[in-house]
Amino acid sequence: MTQPIDISGYTRITESIRTEAKRILSDGTVSAVIGYTHVRRKGSTQPILITNPDDSEKLFFSEGCLNNLVVYLTKSKKDVPKTGKIGIVVKGCDLKAVVGLLGESQLKREDIYLIGVPCNGVLGSLINPATELNTKTIAAKCRECTDRMPVGADFVPPVELAAMPQMEATYSDKIAKLEAMTPSERWEFWKEQFSKCIKCYACRQVCAFCYCEQCVCDRNRPQMVEQSPRPSGNFSWHLVRAIHLAGRCVGCAECERVCPMDIPLNLLNRKMAMEMKELFNSEAGFEVREKGPLNSYDEHDDESFIR
Amino acid sequence: MHTEKPKHDFEPKIIAFVCTWCTYAGADLAGTSRMQYPANVRVLKFPCTGRIDPVFIIKAFQQGADGILISGCHPGDCHYISGNYHARRRFAAFRKLLEFIGVDLNRIQFSWVSAAEGGKWVDVVTDLTERVRTMGPMVEFKDLALEEQWSGGLNSPDLQEIYEAM
Amino acid sequence: MQKQITEANLRLLIDSLLLKGQRVVGPRQSGAMVLYEPLSSASDLVFNEQPRRSAKEAFFPICEDLLEYRKNGQQIDLEDIEPSRFPETVLIGVRPCDAAAMPVLDSVFSWDYKDQFYLERRSRTIIIGLACTSADDACFCTAVGLSPGDSKGSDLMFSHLVNGGFLVESHTDKGALFLESWKDRFTEPDGSKTLPLAQPEATPFDLKKIKGWLDDHFEDPAWDSIATRCVGCGACAFVCPACHCFDIIDEGTEKSGKRRKFWDACGFSKFTNHASGHNPRDLQPKRYRNRIMHKFKYYDDKFGQNLCTGCGRCIRVCPVGIDIAGILEEIEKK
Repeated sequence: MTQPIDISGYTRITESIRTEAKRILSDGTVSAVIGYTHVRRKGSTQPILITNPDDSEKLFFSEGCLNNLVVYLTKSKKDVPKTGKIGIVVKGCDLKAVVGLLGESQLKREDIYLIGVPCNGVLGSLINPATELNTKTIAAKCRECTDRMPVGADFVPPVELAAMPQMEATYSDKIAKLEAMTPSERWEFWKEQFSKCIKCYACRQVCAFCYCEQCVCDRNRPQMVEQSPRPSGNFSWHLVRAIHLAGRCVGCAECERVCPMDIPLNLLNRKMAMEMKELFNSEAGFEVREKGPLNSYDEHDDESFIR
Repeated sequence: MHTEKPKHDFEPKIIAFVCTWCTYAGADLAGTSRMQYPANVRVLKFPCTGRIDPVFIIKAFQQGADGILISGCHPGDCHYISGNYHARRRFAAFRKLLEFIGVDLNRIQFSWVSAAEGGKWVDVVTDLTERVRTMGPMVEFKDLALEEQWSGGLNSPDLQEIYEAM
Repeated sequence: MQKQITEANLRLLIDSLLLKGQRVVGPRQSGAMVLYEPLSSASDLVFNEQPRRSAKEAFFPICEDLLEYRKNGQQIDLEDIEPSRFPETVLIGVRPCDAAAMPVLDSVFSWDYKDQFYLERRSRTIIIGLACTSADDACFCTAVGLSPGDSKGSDLMFSHLVNGGFLVESHTDKGALFLESWKDRFTEPDGSKTLPLAQPEATPFDLKKIKGWLDDHFEDPAWDSIATRCVGCGACAFVCPACHCFDIIDEGTEKSGKRRKFWDACGFSKFTNHASGHNPRDLQPKRYRNRIMHKFKYYDDKFGQNLCTGCGRCIRVCPVGIDIAGILEEIEKK
């Protein structure tokens, strides 16, 4: 049964964000603030970078604020100025990406000012943005979110989180279903999914952790991954993406959300996150990890699969 | 003193990614000791198991490998101190990923073979070759290379259901 | 020439085309979305949703082979892909915004170099358009000089009739010939009314004025405020009916392989990257500027048409909510 979700707090969050952005821009705490703003279509939003305190009125927060803005802080987004301290609006899931980037020495904590948002969830997609947020339209990641309240932000709007209706976790359910299949059934499933890929690389471009200057998939000497959007190259690309993000992905699910061909990419990421937890007891959170699970080791790691 | 070679219908291609310090030397020892093992294995030498990128495995499958062997120094023996420890974690993760997308893990073998273990090398290679031989050719990745963009046709109702739920 | 066809007859028509060995491509359900794909029967057709990708891929596929090479010792064998092997195709249920892009693509693919792969497919295809009866707030065909019932690019145009079935109008000789050769399936129009056309909320742009601004504002701070947010993926270009950039690459081993042509996009950072490492469009706003410039200035300068049909797909799929209609509105006001 579809139940509505109480997002009445988002109006007060919007006011809070505006006041705070205005304050930190006016007193020189930050040189710019990255947040969300309205766009022509009703319900749709887009990221905005403001440098003028008067532009604070343009900022807002709603159930349509899907983007993980943290991607703009990475070195791959060269057009976003990296001078001085930058303020950024983050939801709990986005904040974990900041934490991940701090751990990978991609950011310095003193260079960012975090405006955390107590979040009751966002929509799953903006293809039809004028949609009411309910237990059906909510993003899959929000169904199982445990980090609605950002921890360690510099400023959090003083808004109590509304109670959320009970929702079933969908990722673990789907993963369990896939795991119960035979290898050849799984292969068929992913073959069908990856065949849809048109190699627009939206999944890579929105990922806060895909900040490499030169992606292995853009290289052709040697050409480890075929660049053409065909089943063969698509498989390599999605496997490479999944393994490169293993132990780093924080589950913001942007890759899955932006995929114009609706490939369930986050299933791969969630599966790898589950394995990281099980194998190495490592998971993304609000604590900065000096090293991720795959660039550290323990002499007593399991090696039952090695002869 | 050559033993009679049995004839098989299917000779699998096994690609072995080995580190130069231990397993390569181990394979060398097997050779100089005139031990017999299946000629199906093609050895690729790397400085360390830590240098073996998962993408090499995908590439090998795409280019016709039926089985993959990854082998290096025993824990604690790495020439670069910790390369094999890192590789161990990386491949523990990568094999889970391969399993999840539907690759039969029986086609992939990981092993530690030291420079003194010519005999173990022979055992590992022989077992893997025979195992893959009974499994038949690895067609999945090769078929992908032949496929053009396609669509439609999920073959089981169960798959269809999951698919539609997404 | 006007004719009429019932839904039952349309099914029969499609089935007979398929039986004759023709490829029939139309909007069909593919997973959770609708795509233009080869139909296996008439019941596959889905008319009430705009396909996620445009119809351009019927002539300009996502990826196609250009030639094949094999190396035997010192000898290299090259094998061309014969464009004449492409199947006769009926492209049915094409949205007017997709069909309108075909004449636009024709200009560029038959300009100084005649692209046989595109042109052969094009000549073997008949395009049957379908007037739109619903639009969402991303649709803006009316703003760029088209309409939900526009016949531009269509050989035949179908319009839903109030009582079911379609009114059929032929706009080219190809269309007339098709009606003639399948005349058993069509009847004379009985004067039934067609369903009202969709009404996108967009107001027409003054495209001359927009072009005038683009002519003088290659360098302008507005590009930064518009496109700093662009993350540099190719989603907009790949779903666009009129974007036509492609890349060519050799794939395979040293022994054998294929030369392939596949979609490329000006949003990618590597799109203009030189071998030297220099990149004239080094930042994202410059790349996005090229997208707008190409659509509304360069193409107009060269071919007298613009490269946008207002289908709204790029607006729906953009990961960061960039709204090309909103941007044009903004430019128009300047």
